Amino acid sequence: MRVKAKLYPKEAARLLREKPGVRDAVTGATLHFEAGRKKAYQEVDAEAWRERAKRVKDHLLTHLDQYLELAEKRLQEKGVQVHWAEDPEEAHRILREIVARRGVRRAVKAKSMLTEELGVNPLLEALGVEVYETDLGEYLIQLLGEPPSHIVGPAIHLALSDIQRLFHSRFGTPLDASPEALAAVARRVLREAFLTAELGISGANFLVAETGTLVLMENEGNIRLATSLPKVHVAFVGIEKLLPRLHDLALFLPLTARAATGQRLSTYVSLIQGPAKEGEEGPEEVHVVLVDHGRTALLHDPEAWEVLRCLRCGACLNACPVYRQTGGHPYGYVYSGPIGAVLDPGLLGLEDTHPLPYASTLCGACYEACPVKIPIPKLLLTWRRRAVEQGLAQGWERAAIQAFSKVMQSPSLYRLFSKGLRGLPLPQDWLPLLRAWTEGRGPLKPSPKPFHQLWQELKE
Amino acid sequence: MEAESRILSRIKHALKERPKALLPEHPHPALSQDPRELLLKRLAENGAEGHLLDEEGVKRLLANLAQGLPGAAYGKGVPAALRLLPELPPEEAPLGVSRALFAVAETGTVALSSEDGRRAQLLPPVHLVLVEEKRVYPSLLEAFLDLKSLPSALGLHSGPSKSADIGQVMVKGVHGPGRLVVAVLQGTW
Ligand code: SF4
Repeated sequence: MRVKAKLYPKEAARLLREKPGVRDAVTGATLHFEAGRKKAYQEVDAEAWRERAKRVKDHLLTHLDQYLELAEKRLQEKGVQVHWAEDPEEAHRILREIVARRGVRRAVKAKSMLTEELGVNPLLEALGVEVYETDLGEYLIQLLGEPPSHIVGPAIHLALSDIQRLFHSRFGTPLDASPEALAAVARRVLREAFLTAELGISGANFLVAETGTLVLMENEGNIRLATSLPKVHVAFVGIEKLLPRLHDLALFLPLTARAATGQRLSTYVSLIQGPAKEGEEGPEEVHVVLVDHGRTALLHDPEAWEVLRCLRCGACLNACPVYRQTGGHPYGYVYSGPIGAVLDPGLLGLEDTHPLPYASTLCGACYEACPVKIPIPKLLLTWRRRAVEQGLAQGWERAAIQAFSKVMQSPSLYRLFSKGLRGLPLPQDWLPLLRAWTEGRGPLKPSPKPFHQLWQELKE
Repeated sequence: MEAESRILSRIKHALKERPKALLPEHPHPALSQDPRELLLKRLAENGAEGHLLDEEGVKRLLANLAQGLPGAAYGKGVPAALRLLPELPPEEAPLGVSRALFAVAETGTVALSSEDGRRAQLLPPVHLVLVEEKRVYPSLLEAFLDLKSLPSALGLHSGPSKSADIGQVMVKGVHGPGRLVVAVLQGTW
């Protein structure tokens, strides 16, 4: 997909200006998810679960070559065809070959962030294959021609009225149709697609090395259908998605569900071992495409490799006050929010994603939420330091930080400046550094008392 | 093949200097509650219906569900004695009846094998799942540790199909069954 991460601050400001409704929709949805996660974490010893999950993933990642070889062997024993792709071009070649050999005209797709990375839909369309996204949210944004704006809830930026208008123009439903009625229309269209598609495409939440098991989590049932009804199933799996043992799922399935949606377990989990056996319903062919696309480079990075533990649960997005303002679109790549801010530079290079590590308040909420304890704030600072080292950060930032540290190190200078600055009239629209901020918000007001005075009073 | 060896050799190179992390064991806390009771409770919390029944009870439940229906789709493992309705293809059947491989109490889950038949598990709007009481595990961990072999596909179902993608409103029965009924069967079948 085209990367537009460089435009982050401009796009965020534009979205706040042009689509003010998005902020309400995203804030509402993320607060709901976040409350669910908090409650679900409280029911268990979340700290122990997270620590154990982190350690399982670290073990996996520090033995990744061995587990990949084991997984390949197990998959092949069950009759799964295993492919490897370094980049989108190789992934395309593999998919093109399957489409041609099986004469595929119609495909049903399960939501998957990796297939977004690889641009699977544009490829299939170019090949003349009709593609249906079958996750309801994903189907909505496919109809709108938009990319997903959240890892778990791709359409959370849409209000009910947006969807009512969309379905009215597409399917002639009334403008005040209920969510049930709209879902029923989508169900009818997609049920037909499930029953007639020759190809089902999915990602994977996990791939268990010990047993060669593909694991997919969902609530709607579309993934079970997409991997059961078509004659061919192709799963794209990032090489970091492995788990060592089958029983690790007893930790990772509930932990991921609790982090993502506050559930004890997702409604449907598919554990797929291979094509259907004699006399059984199910696909004749199952393909697993193991994809690198920047992951080995990240593994090599001694400071940034920890992001590879990520389970794509979206909890850090829900916890993030910055993400909540705009949703995922302004981040300009598949992965948005806090994880996007540290994963995208790792996958694509800092050059193309530079402002993203700055899209955070460093409040630490993302770290608290993360089921595998990825130290996102620390990684944000790592990427910011590198941006300064590589001369990507703007000159004023370097100068400002130098001046700031001078002032902060001297109590008398600090007092002088805080007094002086509070006396100045605050510029509202002409100061270039603040324009993106002030345009979407009310006027800035200085606090009536300086911070050190407030602090003194607080202590007394 | 080429991509595989390139990727694997890059990984080996990346890991050369890195200390290896140990693989932790998962603790195994015992459940104090009767797993059957907990299963029913959790199913209800998940928006499904659970019943603990003897043979007569199951027949009554089935007769109730079958009222006014022209037929049902059946999984292979459903005993002949419980096929009260004429068999219909799953695409047309208003009711699917399957037999679970096992159930998990702590999460309110039934595990359905592809050997039983996947369409009856997914296509009808109502899904009745039969599971023997001795196949109810307290936890996911115990169920996974006990699994000797895996079918080509195992589906863990923990409630009715649902989505909140339209304006954050919860809608049931989006793609899969909107109603899940689980009958835990007393005794052996
Ligand atoms: S970084 Fe952590 S919280 Fe964010 S998506 Fe990944 S696993 Fe979830």
